[in-house]
Amino acid sequence: MMSRFMLLAPVAWRNLWRNPRRTLITLLVVAIGVWSILVFDVILNAWVTSSREASLRLLTGEGQIHATSYLDDPNVAHRMSEPEGRLLRALNSPVVSAWVRRVRVPAVIQSEYRTRAVTFLGVEPPGERIVSDLPSQVVVGHYLRDSDDIGIVIGRDLAEKLKTRLGKRVIVMAQAADGHLAERSFTIAGLFDGSQAAQDEFVFTGLHTAQSALGIGHDISEISFDTAPAASLNDIVSALKHAAPSRGIEPWTALSPLAYAMESFSQSYIAMWLAIMFVLMAIGIINTQLMAVFERTREFGLLQALGMRPGMILFQVTLESALLVGIGVLVGVLLMLITLVPFRHGLDLGFLAAGAEMFGAGRVLYPHLDPGDAVRYSLIVWALGIGAALWPARMAAKADPIVAMAES
Amino acid sequence: MRLTLSIGVIAACTLVQVFAAPAPDADAILKHSYDNYRASSSETTVAMTVHRPDWERHLEMKAWTRGEDDALVRFIAPAKDAGNATLKLDRDTWVFNPKLNQVIKLPASMMTQSWMGSDFSYNDLAKSEDIITEYTHKLTATEQSLGHTVWTIEATPKPGAPVVWGKVTLKIRDDYVMIEETFFDQDMKPARRMQADKIATLGDRPYPVTMTMHPLDSPSQWTRIDTSEGRFNVNVPDYLFTLSNLQNPRQ
Repeated sequence: MMSRFMLLAPVAWRNLWRNPRRTLITLLVVAIGVWSILVFDVILNAWVTSSREASLRLLTGEGQIHATSYLDDPNVAHRMSEPEGRLLRALNSPVVSAWVRRVRVPAVIQSEYRTRAVTFLGVEPPGERIVSDLPSQVVVGHYLRDSDDIGIVIGRDLAEKLKTRLGKRVIVMAQAADGHLAERSFTIAGLFDGSQAAQDEFVFTGLHTAQSALGIGHDISEISFDTAPAASLNDIVSALKHAAPSRGIEPWTALSPLAYAMESFSQSYIAMWLAIMFVLMAIGIINTQLMAVFERTREFGLLQALGMRPGMILFQVTLESALLVGIGVLVGVLLMLITLVPFRHGLDLGFLAAGAEMFGAGRVLYPHLDPGDAVRYSLIVWALGIGAALWPARMAAKADPIVAMAES
Repeated sequence: MRLTLSIGVIAACTLVQVFAAPAPDADAILKHSYDNYRASSSETTVAMTVHRPDWERHLEMKAWTRGEDDALVRFIAPAKDAGNATLKLDRDTWVFNPKLNQVIKLPASMMTQSWMGSDFSYNDLAKSEDIITEYTHKLTATEQSLGHTVWTIEATPKPGAPVVWGKVTLKIRDDYVMIEETFFDQDMKPARRMQADKIATLGDRPYPVTMTMHPLDSPSQWTRIDTSEGRFNVNVPDYLFTLSNLQNPRQ
């Protein structure tokens, strides 16, 4: 087998370059196909990661715990007590890397000139710094210091809409536990940047401040938690459910369905793209190889007359295709690397930021090439290419030497 | 001797009081002014004109108040708006819409919205007491104008008070008619101003019968309130201030 390969490989290589223009065109088809599949894969993965991070690292976390009816109607009546007993032990177990308590209710914020509907959150600042990126997005002033902080942190865009700014007083109004309207004045301690929607929706103060403003004692609205890197989210969710059967415990896949949908469909999108590109490539490869084989009918007849077995001819033509497609794949991978190198530090989607945000992605995508994916898709294209070339190869092997030689 | 000394002290005190009288207390002036405006109960007929650059509309209403906390306003004209009513009891406000035949308790988000399209918010109605309870008051000027003494009172929000304004200045005449109220933003820039345009005797008292609210950031819009009839300290039946009366008026 090896000796045959050694014999046929140089012949196949030379045959490939008997018609350089045709070979180059086929190479180009394969290279562009592979390039597009890999670039598409990398960009799509970056998009999926970005939209998941944008959602999870904003407030969602990897999972949340609420009172059961909270998600249907997130108001102050649907609050819960602080975690204790088994739930507290489950949250403090090493598989949960971090968790925070929050008060989270619909509210109205008022400045001298404008009034806006917002979501009012009481947070534990030290914990938020671990589970959320938002504290690091404060661009003016500072984030909250601790749970007793009486300042308020709002979005920069919201401040502009309210015609207010850092250090000014705003009023937050929300329904209190006893049903009456709780009002409290806050001084703006910081303004955060980030996604437009988040800037306009969320306002933050210390957990204890929010609890006393709403008159809910030590009750909270939600717990957000992150899992340790090696731990399985589903296992943790079921363990927490077991520890607190009366509470609603949801993984991020249920809380951020858009991010989850992006993630679960991304593999299907890539498979679809691969199928489309492959059909196009296969047409090119089969066409080229069929032409090459029909041109060489006399040659195959002669080789057979000289004693070369049909199997060897099949092998030789397949080898030619394997070389052709293989080189195409390598060129495609090379092209992909060249394309992505300029964006290795991030692809700024500033020009379509609003649109990108609509689909949950952040402003900057960070393309990350998964070598496993690159090798896998390259091998798939190569194998399928060889498969497609079997048909022309079989045509060549089937040639009857007498008929073939008789052709003029 | 002791007697003489006592008389002397009493006389001295009396003298001090006599000379101290022209320096009135800001809190008392304000309270008195509010009592004059509203009395312990009132029944008024009011026309409201909402002016905008492109349009203007007129509404007529009857209003009843009881004490400091309860009020009922019912629109009587134009036909399109007649029957709409707003009831305020203590801290809560309800509105009734005859077309929907529904009473709605206003949530927080609606309290700051415009009342019937005017430059007043529901909160202006519901929280008119705020100026007395949530601010500290200081008399900053006393001047003579058109035969009256006019006091200028500067009201500064108490620390932590749930008010957005930087300060409010009020001008009150010596017959306790408020002639101007200016709301300043936190940069101490005037944001809105309410002015008494015409003062006349209404019922038994001097009263600002025409008042205009100007939002100062949009000079071409204003809302004017004309009070045409008013009776004060009258017997207002308690059933007026009930939800059932809001929906099915008996008056």
